[in-house]
Amino acid sequence: MKFSAKTFVKKNINGWLFNLPLFIGLLVFTAIPMVMSLLYSFYETDGITAIPVGFANYIRIFTLHDSQLPRILLNTIIYTLISIPLNLVLSYLLAVLLNTKVKGLGIFRVVYYLPVIIPGVVAGLLWKDIYDNTYGIFNKILSFFGIAPQTWFSDAKTAMASLLLMNVWGIGGGMILWLSAFKNIPAQLYESAKLDGAGPIRRFLHITIPLSTPMIFFNVITSIIGTLQYNGTLTFAGRAGRGPDDSLYMYGVKIYNEAFVRSNVGYGSALSWVLLIVVGLITLVLFKTSKWVFYGEDS
Amino acid sequence: MASQTLIDSNKKARIWNYSKVGVIYLVCIIIGIILVFPYTFMVFKSLMTSDEVINPNVVFFPSNPQWKNYLDIFTADGGAYLKALGNSLIVILFNVIAIPISASIIAYSFAKLKFFGHKIMWVAMMLTMFLPGVATQIPLYVMYAKWGWLDSLLPLTIPNLFGGSAFYIFLIHQFMKGIPQDLLDAAKVEGASAFRIYWSIVLPLCKPVLIYIMVSIFIANWGDFYGPLVYMSSSDAPRTIAYYVYLRAIEGDSASQLAHVRMAAGTFMTIIPAILFGLFQKQLTEGVVMTGLKG
Repeated sequence: MKFSAKTFVKKNINGWLFNLPLFIGLLVFTAIPMVMSLLYSFYETDGITAIPVGFANYIRIFTLHDSQLPRILLNTIIYTLISIPLNLVLSYLLAVLLNTKVKGLGIFRVVYYLPVIIPGVVAGLLWKDIYDNTYGIFNKILSFFGIAPQTWFSDAKTAMASLLLMNVWGIGGGMILWLSAFKNIPAQLYESAKLDGAGPIRRFLHITIPLSTPMIFFNVITSIIGTLQYNGTLTFAGRAGRGPDDSLYMYGVKIYNEAFVRSNVGYGSALSWVLLIVVGLITLVLFKTSKWVFYGEDS
Repeated sequence: MASQTLIDSNKKARIWNYSKVGVIYLVCIIIGIILVFPYTFMVFKSLMTSDEVINPNVVFFPSNPQWKNYLDIFTADGGAYLKALGNSLIVILFNVIAIPISASIIAYSFAKLKFFGHKIMWVAMMLTMFLPGVATQIPLYVMYAKWGWLDSLLPLTIPNLFGGSAFYIFLIHQFMKGIPQDLLDAAKVEGASAFRIYWSIVLPLCKPVLIYIMVSIFIANWGDFYGPLVYMSSSDAPRTIAYYVYLRAIEGDSASQLAHVRMAAGTFMTIIPAILFGLFQKQLTEGVVMTGLKG
């Protein structure tokens, strides 16, 4: 059969038409902006006038010429490296607790998940209040137990720890994921392992963990992407979201401040592209080293 | 004698079981109290007078519940909260209709129509799932500025006419895959157009996943302060409720006369998603499950 443009179009036209919104959307709101921001990153620009500067913006980032950057990078790395594993472990423990065969535990699933759906702005407002040095309730509770009041967000030494503690209230999200992973593990596996004399630790290491790896893998990737661009500190760490002595100043907020507060569109774009490349590399490395992810018997 | 010990050990096992269940319940309740405590405390604070809210002598319960705080939300600042609420509802109404329709149209093309370029579009779409949002916000800002979109509701609505997010399209696609092809073929034989099949057969069958997506969109838009912060930052721009609560929260001036209104507004902002969550609890937690994405 000869190739005919007419039948080719006729065969594909419906698909193309239905796919068109995606094509337009990706082009206008993703592809073109990404090219634009790559261009900006080689200029000193406020989005209106532009002076070409070559790699100056990138050099400024990689030589840490920007005196704020070392602290920002350190904060972002600490925050990412602690909050993701912490969440994974705590939410696992919570899921194990709720997975015990006891009647009426379903209600706790809802209760534990509730803090997750609280809007971020409200959480910020609330935790600023709870942690407050003069009228915050946490210090009041501590004093009730005879513990000295803490400085929480108001001191550079305690701010990051306070943020990590605050995040613990969101473990209900991870819990739901773990519970779903548990649900997909056939009960017979545990029973036969028990018969073979495997204790709880071995059952955890050889059944629960391997069969939950797809969930862990996906959760880790999306958490890393989300955490590296985290900007929630804008809601409680002062107007610039930096915290005392920049103790809460992280990469996502830095981009916001450079691009939208100081109108350094070029430098902000370079910062975003560095983040984009870092996220891309991390994702790539995770996928390349994902042999540990168990996708079932046949794969 | 032997049977007596058997009964005893049975009894012991039962007591042991009961106490185990008791301990589990106790631990669950304690964790529940800890996790819900901040939010109950906010509810109590929302019923306090402004002085009580910022009193260094912290009290847990309001001495005299000020239900009028909730009315104050709507009159404070010349009705600014109310206006912000209206804007939020406009944005949400637009998006809960635009995203499910556009995303399902796109998902339909992937799930049920074969077309040239199918694969590359799929890969391009899936890649955007791993694209940090901050990567596009700066150029989008410049673009919107050129188009005169800044300080209007357009940046929060119009881009959603194109599927909203890869994630939603992906979800609907997974769901549509499960619809038997025979059903669609039968309609085709009877002369139904592709759009007709999509609209009258496929779309109604996708109701469960569409409900999940609509609730997710509501909750996401309701709580979004960052979009307005970036694209609608000038003082005369329309505000959304989340952005307005944000503006009030970062004032930092805790001694403000409006401290109690802030708490009431925060509580109000929390109640809406909580109700939605209560109503659609199953879809939401199972939706999270089927996605495995949120965390």
